[in-house]
Amino acid sequence: MSAVSHRTRLTVVPSYRIAIGRGLSILAALSIVAITLAAMGRSPIELAGLVVRSTVGSRFGIEDLALFMTPLMLTGAAVWVGIRVNLWNIGAEGQLYAGATAATAIGLFTHWPAFVALPAMIVAGMLAGAAWIFVPAAARAWLSVSEIVTSLLLNFVASLLVYYLATGPWADRVTGALASTERLHMAFPEFWGAVHLGFILALATVIGLGVGLAKSRFGYETAVCGSNPQAAHYAGIGVAPRILAVLLLSGALAGLAGVFEVAGTVHRLQGGLANNYGYLGIVVALLARGSCLALIPAALLMALILDTGIVLQTTQISSSAVLAITGLLVLAIAAGDELAAYVRVNRT
Amino acid sequence: MADVTHTPNAPPRHLPAGTPPILELVNIAKYFPGVIANEHVSLNVFPGEIHALLGENGAGKSTLMNVVTGLYQPDAGEIIIDGYGTTFPAPDAAIAAGIGMVHQHFRLVPRFTVAENLHLGWSETPRRLSAKDIEARAKELSARFGLPVRPSAIVSSLSAGEQQRVEILRVLSRGARLLILDEPTAVLSPVEVGELFSALRRFRSEGGAVIIISHKLDEIMALADRVSVLRQGRLVGTHQVADVTPDSLVTEMIGRPVALATSYPRQGPVPAVEEAEPLSLQQVTVRDSAGVVRLDNISLSLRPGEILGIAGVTGNGQPELAEVLTGLKEPESGTVFLNGKAVNRADPAMFAHAGVGHVPEDRLKRALMPGLSVAENMALREYDRPPIGGKFSFSMPQARKFAQMLADRAGVKLPGTQVQIRGLSGGNQQRLVLEREIRIASHVLVASYPSRGLDIGAISAMRDMLARARDAGVAVVLMSEDLDEIFALSDRIAVLYAGRLMGVMTRAEADRDSIGALMSGRSLSEAA
Repeated sequence: MSAVSHRTRLTVVPSYRIAIGRGLSILAALSIVAITLAAMGRSPIELAGLVVRSTVGSRFGIEDLALFMTPLMLTGAAVWVGIRVNLWNIGAEGQLYAGATAATAIGLFTHWPAFVALPAMIVAGMLAGAAWIFVPAAARAWLSVSEIVTSLLLNFVASLLVYYLATGPWADRVTGALASTERLHMAFPEFWGAVHLGFILALATVIGLGVGLAKSRFGYETAVCGSNPQAAHYAGIGVAPRILAVLLLSGALAGLAGVFEVAGTVHRLQGGLANNYGYLGIVVALLARGSCLALIPAALLMALILDTGIVLQTTQISSSAVLAITGLLVLAIAAGDELAAYVRVNRT
Repeated sequence: MADVTHTPNAPPRHLPAGTPPILELVNIAKYFPGVIANEHVSLNVFPGEIHALLGENGAGKSTLMNVVTGLYQPDAGEIIIDGYGTTFPAPDAAIAAGIGMVHQHFRLVPRFTVAENLHLGWSETPRRLSAKDIEARAKELSARFGLPVRPSAIVSSLSAGEQQRVEILRVLSRGARLLILDEPTAVLSPVEVGELFSALRRFRSEGGAVIIISHKLDEIMALADRVSVLRQGRLVGTHQVADVTPDSLVTEMIGRPVALATSYPRQGPVPAVEEAEPLSLQQVTVRDSAGVVRLDNISLSLRPGEILGIAGVTGNGQPELAEVLTGLKEPESGTVFLNGKAVNRADPAMFAHAGVGHVPEDRLKRALMPGLSVAENMALREYDRPPIGGKFSFSMPQARKFAQMLADRAGVKLPGTQVQIRGLSGGNQQRLVLEREIRIASHVLVASYPSRGLDIGAISAMRDMLARARDAGVAVVLMSEDLDEIFALSDRIAVLYAGRLMGVMTRAEADRDSIGALMSGRSLSEAA
């Protein structure tokens, strides 16, 4: 018989195939990194050893990973709830700043006890994040203005606003730190080294979000709106209010990331505080695909890459390496996911 | 079964014996997880032949054509072109071999001109050329293949028939010797169908081969030389069209004889007339976004336990009437009465809760979420009530159970309730929508072209379902372009022409001539 292909594409890909595909993708990406390092005259094995020792190999490294994961899980969730219904919130960076700013206001200017101040920070930060996306969200919902552009552009506004506050009215006059406010009066309690309560709360938020959307009428209605707005109208589901609600939720999640970052990890509002977490949230959300719980391992992977970048920097390798490795990994995983859908057909 | 007319390898009678086939399929098989799409399909097509491919929804016609055009790889079997075994790793290989497909849903760029569409993705398109040049080239192509098109027209402004001509022209200009058409007449007006057929006959007389997929038996009888019938993925027969009758084809297609009933007698007494009208329109006028009047001063009332047939040529206000009746559109003037109460805003949820079901004209666009699962799609009308959901909750396990129950009742075999609904065949999607809508239609069911794209077995089942709904006391509105269907089912018949209601008459009063006259815009007195 002539050479006919014996492969077919699955419409539903079982998760174990995805897992295998991803494992191989990560291996392929790491091999390319290793080859590149070797071509630069560095020993990949030595560097790998160094990276492993200083990330998962030490108490300090693991604490660091948890601190990186905290904002990444939440910005990842922020982008993920949007993608789920075909909305792209590219402004998590700006909403993170907005949330951080609101938390800072409480942390600098009130002297409430922690059990009042910390919940207040969470509420204020989430509201601020939602407020930061309100105009793009409403414009998208009722005027069909692309949320991609509007939410992205507000990032720069938020970033400059934080620089202004941190160098101007809220600048630290005590220690004279550059582009930074004073240390906040209260912080999320640390429970394991530098790892603070924010990590647990972020974890709980992601789990709660996944369960909540899967089991709620809101989750179903928004899925319908995202998949086919005309069918939603036909079924009597108002599309515009639900687009608004999803985007506000997205903004609130990113705002929460800002709260934990400023009041748990950094303790001061600084220029550059967001550290690209908003943009990296897009990568985390894409890696997680359709599953909310998959945001957790995706955030862990991203945290590992960030940590690796820092370690590589200490050995005089450009900090842009992080971006290159991230890109490589996303590419490999996208290819791996696609290839995992193809199966050999067994004929008898 | 000894079937004397099954002569798979003989060429059509008008061709000399010994003519070599242009395409031979030998024992083609294609499997999808849980489904045998094609198995042991052997078929040949000769130059100078129009070969019809017939089969129920989901019989494997589209899969087979996707194999022939290189979109799918067969899991077994051989494709032989001009006597040489070949494989098509991708569609471009099939195009290079002279096989061209015209899909049911056109693959044109709506914003481009006809000439631009013809030259898109074509290796023979010169690298640098002006709009004038490509229009001149398009004109030349149009003349060469005898398919009149206007090269400078924007595709989105063309009628379905004109767009189809552009598609055919594009395929022919790539040197196609075998043209495959998937339900080409589904979107055409009768005049356009005639034009298409004469173009296909001309192509045949020049030695071209055509495979045409169609549900319409009379078209097959009129156009084709040979016909092959698929059932459940297997070829059940290939015949000279002269040797078969529509009835024998239907029997072969579904494995048992089916004739569509010409009347659906009631199982119980006709409900009393004084029962409340579930839905009525009073002097309703609707304009579209361009300000054109689509419905003109329409007054109409539905009666429980009665089927109201709406006859009319497509595009005379049918979609707008359905939208007003189901609360999707609010009239510009006039009033809609739902259970005797005036409704003055568009509120489809309220209509649905009041027991108004709606099978829209374009199911995939309007009534389904193609990217979501079968379970989620079937829950669309009842997600807000137990057992699936409540005020805040939604239960996926219950939705899956519900979907399975609907599928069982509709006689649809599912590969699973978690698969995307776009993976199902068009006919199965329609059966599921119909089943879902009939369930919520406790008072009114608006069905727009419910038989469109269904095979004869499914149409028969669909009509039984409408008759059962009527017997249960539902007021059914049936819009159809098929007068036989209207006459078979309706108790009253209304005719829509240019947005106006030309008259409402009982089934007993109506005859074909008067309805036909009204459909063409003449009043009864003029026609008499």
